[in-house]
Amino acid sequence: MMDVGRHPNIKLLAYSEIESISGYIGNFHVRVRKKARYVDETQCTACGECAKVCPVAVPDEYQLGLSLRKAIYIPFAQAVPSAYLIDMKACLGTNPIACGKCAEKCDKKCINYDMQDEIIEFDAGVVIVATGMDVYDPTELEEYGYTRYENVITSMEFERLISAGGPSDGHFIRPSDKRRPKTVGFIQCVGSRSERRGKPYCSNICCMNTVKDTLLLKDHYPDVEAKVFYIDIRAFGKGFEDLFKRSKEAGVQYIRGIPGEIIEDPVTKNLKVMVEDTTTNRISEHELDMIVLSVGVTPRADMPEVQQLLTLSKTPDGFFMEAHPKLKPVDAPTSGVFFAGCAEAPKDVKDSVTQASAAASRAMTVLSAGKIKLEAITSVINPEICRFCTICAQACPYKAIKVEPKKKSIELIEAMCKGCGTCGAECRFGAIKMRHFTDEQTYAQIDAYLEEDPYNKIIVFACNWCSYAGADTCGGARLQYPPSARLIRTMCSGRVDEDWVLYAFRKGAPIVVVSGCHFVDCHYIDANRWTQKRVEKLWDKLEKLGIRPDRLFLEWISAAEGQRFAKTMIDIERHRQRVTKEEIEYTMKVLSEQK
Amino acid sequence: MPDEADFKCLRCGAEFKLHYVKGVIEERTCPRCGSNSVRLLKKKETAGEPGK
Ligand SMILES: [Zn+2]
Repeated sequence: MMDVGRHPNIKLLAYSEIESISGYIGNFHVRVRKKARYVDETQCTACGECAKVCPVAVPDEYQLGLSLRKAIYIPFAQAVPSAYLIDMKACLGTNPIACGKCAEKCDKKCINYDMQDEIIEFDAGVVIVATGMDVYDPTELEEYGYTRYENVITSMEFERLISAGGPSDGHFIRPSDKRRPKTVGFIQCVGSRSERRGKPYCSNICCMNTVKDTLLLKDHYPDVEAKVFYIDIRAFGKGFEDLFKRSKEAGVQYIRGIPGEIIEDPVTKNLKVMVEDTTTNRISEHELDMIVLSVGVTPRADMPEVQQLLTLSKTPDGFFMEAHPKLKPVDAPTSGVFFAGCAEAPKDVKDSVTQASAAASRAMTVLSAGKIKLEAITSVINPEICRFCTICAQACPYKAIKVEPKKKSIELIEAMCKGCGTCGAECRFGAIKMRHFTDEQTYAQIDAYLEEDPYNKIIVFACNWCSYAGADTCGGARLQYPPSARLIRTMCSGRVDEDWVLYAFRKGAPIVVVSGCHFVDCHYIDANRWTQKRVEKLWDKLEKLGIRPDRLFLEWISAAEGQRFAKTMIDIERHRQRVTKEEIEYTMKVLSEQK
Repeated sequence: MPDEADFKCLRCGAEFKLHYVKGVIEERTCPRCGSNSVRLLKKKETAGEPGK
C-alpha cells in the first residue's frame, strides 16, 4: 500500500466511488466521487490528537466490532493515505457545531467541517477490476450459535484477536471472560460446499487459512489444544502439504467430521460438540473453550453495481466471468477490462498476486501498443435502411450501438462490437449485416443440407463457443448421435435470425434446433436471452400458422456436455421420425405463401 | 405461488410449474427430460364458456 501511495505514476483515490464509466477500450471515461473526509489529507500528520479528544465511540469496522473507534479515525494503522477522516454519521454534528473538539485540538488546522464531495473525471485506456470479496456471515446457521454464544467466533475474528495490531494487542483471549482458552476447535467449510445454506462452491482458502491459524496458535501458546473438524483438507498449493504436516506435527488434532451442533454451557460458557469421525466411525464428544468457524468467501454485495458499470457477466457462483477460463483467464468479456483477485473467484494471496501481475501485463500490452487489433467479425449498419427503432441498441450486450432516433443517427463503435450478431438477428429491416456468418452463407448451408432428402434432416444452429464445441466433445468421445443432425455454426445463438428458422422449414426441414450456451456461460454476456425470446415468439408464430411448435427446439448445451448433445440429438431424431410428409408439405406451402 | 406459471416441455410433453415473472427471461429446464424447449402455457379465455 505504501509503495502504491508513493509511486509517481500511480494516483490513489482512496475513500472514493466510481459513479460511471463510459467509452470503450483505449477510450474509457471515468467519473469518480471522492467523498469528503473533512480532514485535509495533504496536511494531516496522523498525530492522533484529534481522536484522543473525540467523545464518540462506535464499533471499529476494521477490528470487526471487537473494539471501538472514535468518530474521527484512521481506518487502520497502515492505511494510505495516512490521514484521519470524520465519520459524519457518528459525529455529534457540525451544523451547528455540537462538539468541535477535534478542530480545536488540531494544531495544523486540517479539519474542515464544510468539506464537500469532489467529482473527479479522467480518461483511462483500460480498467482493472480488483473489487475483492465478502466473507460469509454464519449467523443463519443457528446450530452453531454464532452471535448467540460469545465464544464462537469466525476465522476473520480469530485473525484480529491474534494480531499484534488487534483489539487485544495480540493476546488471544476468549470474549466471554477475557481469559486465554485452553482448547480451541476449528470447524471447516462453514458456508461453503453446501447446496442448502451458504454457497455450493469450495471457498478455496479456508483449509490453508485454518492450517496457518493453528500453527500461529501453537506458536504463540504451545500448550493450547487445537482440534480441526473437517470434511477434507484441500492442501493443493506449493508448500501447502508441508504446512499441513507441520500443523499435525505441532500436535493439532484433525478430526474428519463436521459437528452438527454447538451447545454452550450457560455457566462456564464452554462449548460442547459431538462429531462422528468418518475415519474411525466413532462418535466423540469434545468440550472446547472456544470455537472458530472457518467461514467461506462470497461475492461482494455491491457486485451488481460494478457489473452494471462495465457490462460484465457473472458465473453461477456469483463471481465475475472471465472471457475464457483457459485462454483469457484475466480478461473480462468487455474489451479493455481485466480482473485481479477474488472479484473473479475465491483465491489466496499468491494466486491473487499472480492474477494481478497478469492483469497488469495484459493492461500494458494494450497501453503500450497504442492501437488495438479487432476481430473482423463485427456488424455493419446501413443507416440508409435503418428506421432508428433502437432494438439493435437494446439487444447489444456491449452497448456498442449508439442510436439517436430524433437525429436519425446510428453509429456502431467497432472497438466495442464482439460480433455476436444479435443486433443483426433482431433488426426487422435488414439494416444490419454481419462481416462474417452472413445471411447468404447461412442460406447457402441450409440449401445444401436440404437439397437432397430434406425429410431426413435436422437443421441444428449451434453457437461457436458452447453447442458446436459440445458436438465436438461428443464426437471426440466417440459418442453416437443420429446422422440426420446437420450443424450450422454461428458465433452466438443470438445470431440465429427468425428468418433462418422459417427458411429452413420452408425448404422442407422437418425439425429445426436452435442451440447455444447455458445462460451463465453466454460468451456475449446475455445475448442468448434474446435467442430464447425469439424462439418463444417463433413457437407462437408457428402455431398460428398451423405448424406444430414442437418441430422447433431450443437447447442449451455447454462445450463440456458432449453426452447431453448426443442425448438431445437422439431424442430429437425420434421427433423427426414422427413428422409426416404431409405436414412438411403443408409447412412449405404455408411459409411460401407467407413470404 | 404468485411467481409461478404452467409450462410444457416440447420434447417430452411434461407439464409443470416453474418460476415466472412476466418480462423476466430465465433459463428454463424440463424437470423430466432436461430439455430447454419449455413453453409457457397461456391461459385459455374462459369468458365464453358456459356456466362461467
Ligand atoms: Zn421434457
